[in-house]
Amino acid sequence: MHVADGDTVAAALYRAGVRTFSRSVKYHRRRGLYCGTGDCPNCLMTVDGQPAVRTCVAAGRDGMSVTRSGGWPSADRDLLHVTESLHRVMPVGFYYKTFIRPRFAWPIAERVIRRATGLGKLPPTREAARKVVRHEHVDVLVIGAGAAGLGAARDSVTSSARSVIVCDEGRVGAGVAPGAPLDRIRELEAEVRADGSVIVLEDHVAIGVYDGLHVPLASELELVHVYPERVVVATGASQTHAVFPGNDLPGVMLGRAAAALAGVHRVRPGDRAVMAVGNEEGLDHLDTLLAVGVSIVALVVPAALADRVPDGVGEVVVDGHVHEARGRAAVREVVLGRRGRGKRFACDLLVLSLGLAPRDGLARMALADEPVTLAGDAARGVDEEPLARDGTVCLCEDVSVHDLEQAWREGYRGAEILKRYTTTTMGPCQGAMCGRALSCFAAARGGSVHAGSSAATAPRTTARPPARPVTLETLAAGVHEIVDKRTSLHELHVAAGARLDRSGGWLRPFTYGDWREEYRAVRERVSIMDVGTLGKFTIGGPDASALVGRVFPCRTDDLTPGRTRYVLTLDEAGYVMDDGLLARVGDLEWYLTSTSGGAGRTDARLRNFADRFALDVHVLDRTSQWGAINVAGPHARDLLEQLTDDDVGTDAMPFPGFADITVAGIACRAIRTGFVGELAFELHHPRSRGPALWRALAEAGRRWNLVPHGLDALELLRLEKGHLYLGQDTMPDDTPTKLGMAWAVDTSKPWFVGKLALERMEARSLPRRHVGLEFTGCPAHAAGLRGEPLLAGGDVVGRVTSAERSIALDRAIGLGWVRSVGDGFPTRFTVGSGAIATVVPTPFYDAGGARMRG
Amino acid sequence: MAELRATSPRVVAVLASSGACDRVVPRDGVRVVRVARREVLLVSDADIDVREVGEQVDEPHAVVDDVSAAWAALLLAGDRSREAFARVCELELPRDGWVQGEVARAAATVIAEPALVTILVASMLAAHVEDRIRTDAAELLAP
Repeated sequence: MHVADGDTVAAALYRAGVRTFSRSVKYHRRRGLYCGTGDCPNCLMTVDGQPAVRTCVAAGRDGMSVTRSGGWPSADRDLLHVTESLHRVMPVGFYYKTFIRPRFAWPIAERVIRRATGLGKLPPTREAARKVVRHEHVDVLVIGAGAAGLGAARDSVTSSARSVIVCDEGRVGAGVAPGAPLDRIRELEAEVRADGSVIVLEDHVAIGVYDGLHVPLASELELVHVYPERVVVATGASQTHAVFPGNDLPGVMLGRAAAALAGVHRVRPGDRAVMAVGNEEGLDHLDTLLAVGVSIVALVVPAALADRVPDGVGEVVVDGHVHEARGRAAVREVVLGRRGRGKRFACDLLVLSLGLAPRDGLARMALADEPVTLAGDAARGVDEEPLARDGTVCLCEDVSVHDLEQAWREGYRGAEILKRYTTTTMGPCQGAMCGRALSCFAAARGGSVHAGSSAATAPRTTARPPARPVTLETLAAGVHEIVDKRTSLHELHVAAGARLDRSGGWLRPFTYGDWREEYRAVRERVSIMDVGTLGKFTIGGPDASALVGRVFPCRTDDLTPGRTRYVLTLDEAGYVMDDGLLARVGDLEWYLTSTSGGAGRTDARLRNFADRFALDVHVLDRTSQWGAINVAGPHARDLLEQLTDDDVGTDAMPFPGFADITVAGIACRAIRTGFVGELAFELHHPRSRGPALWRALAEAGRRWNLVPHGLDALELLRLEKGHLYLGQDTMPDDTPTKLGMAWAVDTSKPWFVGKLALERMEARSLPRRHVGLEFTGCPAHAAGLRGEPLLAGGDVVGRVTSAERSIALDRAIGLGWVRSVGDGFPTRFTVGSGAIATVVPTPFYDAGGARMRG
Repeated sequence: MAELRATSPRVVAVLASSGACDRVVPRDGVRVVRVARREVLLVSDADIDVREVGEQVDEPHAVVDDVSAAWAALLLAGDRSREAFARVCELELPRDGWVQGEVARAAATVIAEPALVTILVASMLAAHVEDRIRTDAAELLAP
């Protein structure tokens, strides 16, 4: 079809003869062009694949693909319209009552209902467009670019202020018929644009007003987060939605829609019209319609305006009302009432210009003390409107007066609870049309403290964002959940062809090609691993020892400088949060490592407790400052001796301990560790020297055929030692005792974080514990058993948390948790498809620890 | 346009009592950023004399340490530098001063000058933040 210059999508469709714009969501009633101002749901269509586009304000262009929503097989011939005849068996809230028994019925019914409703389908394969996201801090944000908004923007101009004015209906002045109002808008627009301090954002929609103040503005291309000092809501007023039988028939139209069709788009909205006018704007609409040759067969007008009715109008009904609109596919007849008597008029158009209601929803989202003000028609009062005996209240959700009455009888007596039960005001228009009618309905029935309120004073339901339909694409714009941390060795890993993946918030090498070869390098020769991801902290100051003594559950006062100890971190509930190594550097200085994923939380907790206990402590997070490389394997010491003049022998650096040494000319803190179960030194060093240190170690290690190892090899290395991976092997409510690590807690200490909770839990029987497992009858690659339930006597009594075939032991081993059954813990289970798991002691490998003590 | 450049500034951390932190005096070319009541960062393109800073602090248990390796600086220069910055951060920049907050979801200290925005982030996150700026502000950046 042809799209004329300046046409909206809806205007082009109307010109082409389309009258049914959509089908209602529940009863599939025909819906035609109604408000013409983007307030109601009637013209929502799928445009170029995007559902729920407000076609009455969306600019049209040739070649657009436009699909009406609702209706099967089409919106014009909709077989689902049969649901209207089932109104009696589908009362309001029917799906709360009808499908709850039997329980299997609801999933089926839900699918059927979902297919029969909705505002279109999302394209399954469409790539999300990249929306620009930007942030603007301004003094004044004016929402609405009519005369009032432009005036407010102009008045906001000062020597230092920055302002934004946003127009949500295309370009400024779009949709306003030529004449004095448009001339005034053009004049103000010129003034505003002449001042460089006002940013004019056209075709942007204010999504909501959030605390702060923060107002996101969305357009097709961008999402602008505006943080204004104050907001002026100048969104004007919408025409009141009159409720009477037949009020949703195609051909029933608000005055602004009819006038825009006639005055702006030069499309005659109908041939024979009945019109109801309640204010001076209505008389303007009347003039516009007469000018394009619409025959006004009858006019309802208040006595105050009766003498201003122009010539050429048929019957004038003074102080009358619209009683009913009738028709099948569109309005064919209107019944006007006056003093209890009705009269019918044949017509194809009913135009309603009865009154105005402020569009103040955005302002009502703000807190009472926030600087959000209303301007222009948005600040006006509500024109009175009579409450009818029947008719459609909520166009979005297909709720009638009859439905509200039934809900009222069922006990839902208040606007807020009626809203939730009937879903009135919860559709795309967010109550723009029906909100006042709902509030007025509740108030008139006296169910609230506001009994007897009029339309003007009835309290509204809470306004919440979004104020307008917003796409998921817009909501997701600028959201980047993945933040990858990189060590200083990242480029070296990439160059070595490592398979990198995410672990604990970092991009880490999982393998450099053959993880079994990497494993053998650690067990038989020497290997290096990038462990720069570990959390690293210096804790210093006069009260540093007091802090570590209170934060960690183990004894710390017996640690001498140069010695380290494995520590658990507990929360106040006694649950294990993290673990690491605590090293005593000096009388007033400690050094702590944490897990890679736990660094941020550890930093926060240390600072938190220092502050809570009023301790004179400095916590310096060195995670980003220092890298770390673990040198592990039987030849680890031999390798270091190639690169350092410092003594790295057992006497100078016993296990567990550390020393500050120089390796390949780089100052390092060398810490003896035992996670992989071999002689190992973690070299903590300035991050900037990491690549040089890595290269030096790799070069010196060539004589032992050094290969670096990644997380895949580490998985088996630590499993053979029975070491836990926090998070993988543990659960959020694990205590040291459940993990078999009660040895890491010194209960004789007077106090530490979590002690009280631990004492209470220790007094009760142990519900679950972590165990070592050995598997028989399982596949050669036992890793598949991870996550499998452990069964005893047919009952699930536990779960496998780690499993792998040990290369050193040539048998399948694992870790898991087991819950108590009766008086004890089962020790033999079936797992997976026929394997047998048996509880065995850990470590599996080098139980005495001779190798790691080196 | 805006120009984005990554650099490695000299950064010295001072962890000391509030009074001792007050005694840190900026030298020419050194920006003193009081990130917390008991914590100061000194940032410069040139070397910073750690010993001199220690003498200013003059507190026995204070930590005064060159932590340059911990930090990376991303410099946005040019007439559209602030516009480019606003693509990845909601912080309101002063004309000449500094703020702390989240830039592209990474914790950052941001030093603003009339035609230069310096984003100080942990070096482990520098690549991420640089990638985000180059993607989200692509059309504002000089090639």
